[in-house]
Amino acid sequence: MRPGATVWDNVPPPVKETGEYAWLLAFEGEEAEANEAARSAAAAIRTSGMAGLVDVVPAARTVLVLGSPELDASRLEAFEAAPRHAGPAFSPRRHEIRMTPDGADLDEIASRSGLSPDAFLEVFVQLDFTVGFLGFSTGFAYLYGLPKALHLPRRGTPRAAVPAGSVALAGPYVGIYPAPTPGGWNLLGRTARRLFDLRADPPFLFAPGDRVRFRL
Amino acid sequence: MEPGLLTTVQDLGRYGWASSGVPAAGALDEEALRLANRLVGNVESAAALEITFVGPVLRAAGDLDLAVAGGAFGPAPGKAFRVADGEIMSLASGPGATRAIAAVGGGIDVPLVLGSRSTCVSGRFGGFQGRRLQRGDFLSVLPASAAPLVDASADLRQPGDGDVVLRAFAGSDEAEFDAAALAAFWGTPWRILPESNRMGLRLSGPSLGLVETASRASEGTTRGTVQVTADGHPIVLLAERPTTGGYPKIAVVAAIDLDLLARTPPGRNVRFERIPVTEARRLVDAREARLRAFSGGRT
Repeated sequence: MRPGATVWDNVPPPVKETGEYAWLLAFEGEEAEANEAARSAAAAIRTSGMAGLVDVVPAARTVLVLGSPELDASRLEAFEAAPRHAGPAFSPRRHEIRMTPDGADLDEIASRSGLSPDAFLEVFVQLDFTVGFLGFSTGFAYLYGLPKALHLPRRGTPRAAVPAGSVALAGPYVGIYPAPTPGGWNLLGRTARRLFDLRADPPFLFAPGDRVRFRL
Repeated sequence: MEPGLLTTVQDLGRYGWASSGVPAAGALDEEALRLANRLVGNVESAAALEITFVGPVLRAAGDLDLAVAGGAFGPAPGKAFRVADGEIMSLASGPGATRAIAAVGGGIDVPLVLGSRSTCVSGRFGGFQGRRLQRGDFLSVLPASAAPLVDASADLRQPGDGDVVLRAFAGSDEAEFDAAALAAFWGTPWRILPESNRMGLRLSGPSLGLVETASRASEGTTRGTVQVTADGHPIVLLAERPTTGGYPKIAVVAAIDLDLLARTPPGRNVRFERIPVTEARRLVDAREARLRAFSGGRT
């Protein structure tokens, strides 16, 4: 390293390989901001017209790019370096999700936040959420927008079955369970909205970047 | 007539929907799917039956061409054969048979769901009504090509005796493991546990130590990635893995050896042999060339 240089002056490390033809782009910083960069990069890569793209998967602070042998991986570094400037304008959809606040953990969620259940729900419905990414199971959405004071750890013992439509909290996320699955998140309530219908077009209610508010 | 233990409809998987949380699914043994389809004159990606441990007994409605590849099930593993209308065909397992693909001329006709006919067992969609086959199910077949059966043999690598060697390259989180954990991972045999499934292969061996997982951010997952759970045990992610996961990734099994792994039963030991990712890429490219060349001997 030359005198006076910082680590940031160096050439960024090459994009990590997570398969013969799979690459992982990583974004630094506070998670919700890193996620926004990951979403922008994913959208930019998807619309780049790059040959050999198989799938592009934004997650909390990464983008996974699955390719075929004709994909030119050297082009990916540019998206990691400047995710915000590479993509076309993206207009997120807005969703209002009606929730019945009957989650098994509502009282505990509220008291751990130092609030009564009613006061907690009053705060909760004022919050604006952003769909960060989908994962874990088909159509499961991770939403950002929970203030730090409301972040809660996962439950020590996961439940064997969480009801479909459950709105739940864990760490910085609010999640919605599209189907009954095992799960360790804190259950706040339930929505009757279907998160996916594989015969519909589009099949999924949420896409990364969409805005969400809850109402009772 | 008899469904077998876990018989599902699979093709090469469902891609393009991972950002909506949709698992790829698809055949665990991609090489077997592609070759079995070629033997009966199908395109490589046609939907076929993935059979596991105990094969099904089928009755043909119409004259059909069949080919089984990847494991010793039925009368002629690795060869195409003809089944006459009304004939009963047992795809019973022979010695050492773990898993195989049974392709039918034309391919299995189930609806395309998000671009694929694969069964997502955990999500209960795709394939035949989103589930494994049951006694009495009637499967339709798409029109077969007029091409004659391929007179060739799909002799695929089998696990053999002794430890099964899986070539693998460094995972993206290797730096998070200490020297002892890495030495244990690359140096000791791992037993395949019976609780393995189409999502992942669970391995038993020395603990790789407690891994910090609570604050890890979820990342997109790839087939063959070896992740280490909070209690220090490795899992090899397979076709039906969740699209994102938060466990650290110690290694990635080379694609060329994942098909061999699909032919290896629980209880057997595997060892990981370290190769550079460039070598893994060369191996998979070389296999593509071999698969493209596999059409020789058409009658």
